[in-house]
Amino acid sequence: MPTRNFSIIAHIDHGKSTLADRLLQATRAVTAREAREQMLDSMDLERERGITIKASAVTVKHHFEGEEYELNFIDTPGHVDFAYEVSRALTACEGALLVVDSTQGVEAQTVANAYLAVENELELIPVVNKIDLPAADPDGVAMEIEQVLGLPAEDCIYCSAKTGEGIPELLDAICRTLPPPRDPVTEKTRALIFDSHYDDYRGVIVYFRVFDGALRVGDRIRMMGTGRTFTISELGRYTPQPTKLKEIRHAEVGYMVAAIKTLDDVRVGDTITIDHDPAEEALPGYEEPKQMVFCDFYPATSAADAGKKGDYEDLREAVEKLHLNDASFTYQTQHSEALGFGFRCGFLGLLHMEIVQERLEREGGVEIVQTAPTVSYEIALTDGTEMEIHNPAELPDTATIAEMREPIVKLEIICPNENIGDLMKLCDGRRGLFKGQRYVSDTRQILDYELPLAEIIYDFYDKLKSITRGYGTMDYEIIGYRADKLARISILVNGQPVEALSLICHRSNAEVRSRAILKKLKKQIDRHQFEIPLQAAIGGKIIARESIKGVRKNVTAKCYGGDITRKRKLLEKQKEGKKRMKSVGSVNIPQEAFLAVLEQGD
Amino acid sequence: MPRSSSTLVTQITSDGRGIQDFSVPITGAISAADLPLNPPSEGVRGLYLHVPFCFHKCHYCDFYSIVDALGRHEQFVHRLLRERDAAAEAMGDTPETIFVGGGTPTLLPAASWRELLAGLASSIGPGLAEFTVEANPETVTGELLDVLVAGGVTRISIGAQSFQPAHLQTLERWHDPENVARSVERARAAGLRRVSLDLIFGIPGQTVDDWADDLARALALEPDHLSCYGLTYEPNTPMTIRLRRGDFEASPDETTAAMYELTRHTLALAGYEHYEISNWARPGERCRHNLLYWTNRSWWPLGPGAAGHVGGVRWKNAPRLSEYLESSGLPPITDVERVDADGVVGERLMLGLRLIDGLPLGVIDELLATGGRGSTRAAAIAKHEDAGRLERANGRLRLTETGQLLADLVLVDLI
Ligand SMILES: Nc1nc2c(ncn2[C@@H]2O[C@H](COP(=O)(O)OP(=O)(O)O)[C@@H](O)[C@H]2O)c(=O)[nH]1
Ligand code: SF4
Ligand SMILES: [Mg+2]
Repeated sequence: MPTRNFSIIAHIDHGKSTLADRLLQATRAVTAREAREQMLDSMDLERERGITIKASAVTVKHHFEGEEYELNFIDTPGHVDFAYEVSRALTACEGALLVVDSTQGVEAQTVANAYLAVENELELIPVVNKIDLPAADPDGVAMEIEQVLGLPAEDCIYCSAKTGEGIPELLDAICRTLPPPRDPVTEKTRALIFDSHYDDYRGVIVYFRVFDGALRVGDRIRMMGTGRTFTISELGRYTPQPTKLKEIRHAEVGYMVAAIKTLDDVRVGDTITIDHDPAEEALPGYEEPKQMVFCDFYPATSAADAGKKGDYEDLREAVEKLHLNDASFTYQTQHSEALGFGFRCGFLGLLHMEIVQERLEREGGVEIVQTAPTVSYEIALTDGTEMEIHNPAELPDTATIAEMREPIVKLEIICPNENIGDLMKLCDGRRGLFKGQRYVSDTRQILDYELPLAEIIYDFYDKLKSITRGYGTMDYEIIGYRADKLARISILVNGQPVEALSLICHRSNAEVRSRAILKKLKKQIDRHQFEIPLQAAIGGKIIARESIKGVRKNVTAKCYGGDITRKRKLLEKQKEGKKRMKSVGSVNIPQEAFLAVLEQGD
Repeated sequence: MPRSSSTLVTQITSDGRGIQDFSVPITGAISAADLPLNPPSEGVRGLYLHVPFCFHKCHYCDFYSIVDALGRHEQFVHRLLRERDAAAEAMGDTPETIFVGGGTPTLLPAASWRELLAGLASSIGPGLAEFTVEANPETVTGELLDVLVAGGVTRISIGAQSFQPAHLQTLERWHDPENVARSVERARAAGLRRVSLDLIFGIPGQTVDDWADDLARALALEPDHLSCYGLTYEPNTPMTIRLRRGDFEASPDETTAAMYELTRHTLALAGYEHYEISNWARPGERCRHNLLYWTNRSWWPLGPGAAGHVGGVRWKNAPRLSEYLESSGLPPITDVERVDADGVVGERLMLGLRLIDGLPLGVIDELLATGGRGSTRAAAIAKHEDAGRLERANGRLRLTETGQLLADLVLVDLI
């Protein structure tokens, strides 16, 4: 039976999930009622945010020119934070549908995803979606696709994932234009892992595409990257209902259960082979996921109770459990003087961080206090050694540092013409290096920059959105580390450095950022009985200062009959509030102050 | 036996005005008759009557009062007297002080007052030392004053608040400042010797000079008692909501503190004794009823929303007029609390130190010896003495002048 393996790639909200449903429905794999739910996105969270986090695969059948085709549809994550996972899912395919919303046009993630597909040598079918909408401009968008991506406008398939218009033509195009899977190149078995989930009952479920040979139930398999071995207890595919199979052969896609206990034992991109008859070489492209963004999670409880470990234990349980489901974030125990025991976690990107936080709160039922994200830095020491740090507090003595390097991204912004000037100003202000500019259409342009990741995670996206009134989109990719004049800023409250407030930033904006932080602190710390100096320092040098004046007045004016109980309760509440604060020297700093300071934005 | 009752729902309209209350039925209310009261040997010394009517609801006010459109004044007076009858037994002796507060007691018509005072006659014994009525300047008529004096009232407390129309408007008080002087004159003419004025400082937009002027105008009327309150933003009042919403800015602490210092200075020069954080009096003119509160004595509450304290138990009559009127005997109560030994120590310190003379060292020692936290409290006292907020003088512990402005910082450590 002829087979086609393909993915759908799109900018967020351009209709990937809706189109997937429509394809499943058109091939009668799903009933209309089932189709109402977007089948491939399984988690609530994804549905709510409209983001597909976990890839999975569905097999359907389609009749084309008298033959029955087997279509393996591989779902990919929709965001650049998961670029590596997307690229692994793409390697499992021969082709991809590039979906573009006909009312929006080509956006930053359209371009980034298209490049990723081309790099993986996939055949692309450009699909112009949402043509049922009055604002649709399919011809204009097809021209954009041609201009930006070099895919001929006349190859575009116009459709509406909503009404179903153009869907039969699209299915035909998949069979006609996408290439068939390549022939086996070795006798040995090789299958690519492109995704995995954790299931409470069956352990890890591995999604794979067989490139060479076949896998059978009972086979002893070996992961070529990690060297771990397992025995396959179940094989199957989703149609989209799970259907068990004895064997999955060359060019086919499926899932397996093999008594794998943790996702740590399974790496996306790794190659599965037969343990007693292994392939000589793994399939190309395997990488370890790399965490670039770091932040701390603490249980949202009083600092006074932070010493008690109850909430920390709950958080630990939630973190460990979530890690079973998402091995691409890292965690290690962290203790902050201000916030107690918690975890320092590493993420693929900002969105990944947000998703993990939300899942911990929602699925783990814990309330979390999250510190501002920082990036990882490479530090070259004067003795010739190097280290990587994820936290300003880990920075060694300045005298021993030869060089500090920070991650740099390649940033692509697509925006309306009129915003170009303001966006260039924004990027320049963020130490951006201008790389180029191109037109997408008469009204929109692409702006290319190289920028430190640290500048992106500091309130960049919100600024971009507000400058472009929501019309701008961006996408970035980490391209390496670069040395720069970075410095560690210490914040001193009443002369005492507060470790949890220190940060690393570029020398050129150290003053501005310090002043903003001190202003925020000033708002958060109550007046005390004495004046409290607030200072920011690099090394021993003070670069910004503020002060909180001593309290002048704190007295209840009236205290009569009916007020006595209430007045006492008010004082009791104040007393409680004081306990919940962290004292630095003789200054009480509320937990909110740490968070406000660490919050992004000015 | 469960009685039917209801719970108060306060609604503040979206513009931050117009408080309305609705009654939502609940069951199981209790009255003071259900309380395990052990009246102290000295008896219940005070009687507080709450008149829950106002002409208009001021937006900073969190006292229980309503703008009564139903003309229930007469019914209210009847009910109040029946409640007094029910309480008289529990109270034992006639009180030393009576205080009629509100609300706006002087909003009751002269006829109602006549009836109320006639009914209260049996509560007035030879031991009655003070009988105060709160008054709003715009409601004080000669006729009413005559009725009050004839009924045994000895003292009037007039809510002047400010003499400047702009500031009165900020407070949503609508009286003509001239009415304050007129009220004082009329009170004196009617034979009320003891006149107190209430003033408010720290009003948004008010300057220290404005306040100095208010003080001067108040002093010109030669009251024998003055209460000067820093404006307080009570939770859930429309004014507080508007402050949070950013409609206006609160008076800066520095300004309010300067006003307080000015008050202390000005009134001392004028011969007034500062005797409680917000109260000044000419010698011998301190408010005896309010002193009952600050010395943690017993008093009985009458009227919806009135709070009482008898034999270590605090409670409040449910602040719901309709339900109050429907009840008989002792009305439904709420917020009942029996203060434990440690709580009593905390309250006595909290209240006693609000008095400018503070507490005798002997009493302090005795209080620290009771309750479980004597050493913590002693350490807190020492700390605040070191910081210059508490001092020992004439065998007493009291707030210093600095401490008076920072009283809550001190008291929070002592409760
Ligand atoms: N009118 C119309 N709406 C569509 C069409 N395709 C998708 N949508 C809507 O566009 C929004 C985003 O679609 P979704 O499939 O979640 O996008 P994804 O983020 O790419 O997966 C949803 O509200 C869909 O209902 C279409 O062809 N026509
Ligand atoms: S008159 Fe007095 S009791 Fe009535 S609403 Fe105004 S401040 Fe409150
Ligand atoms: Mg989706």
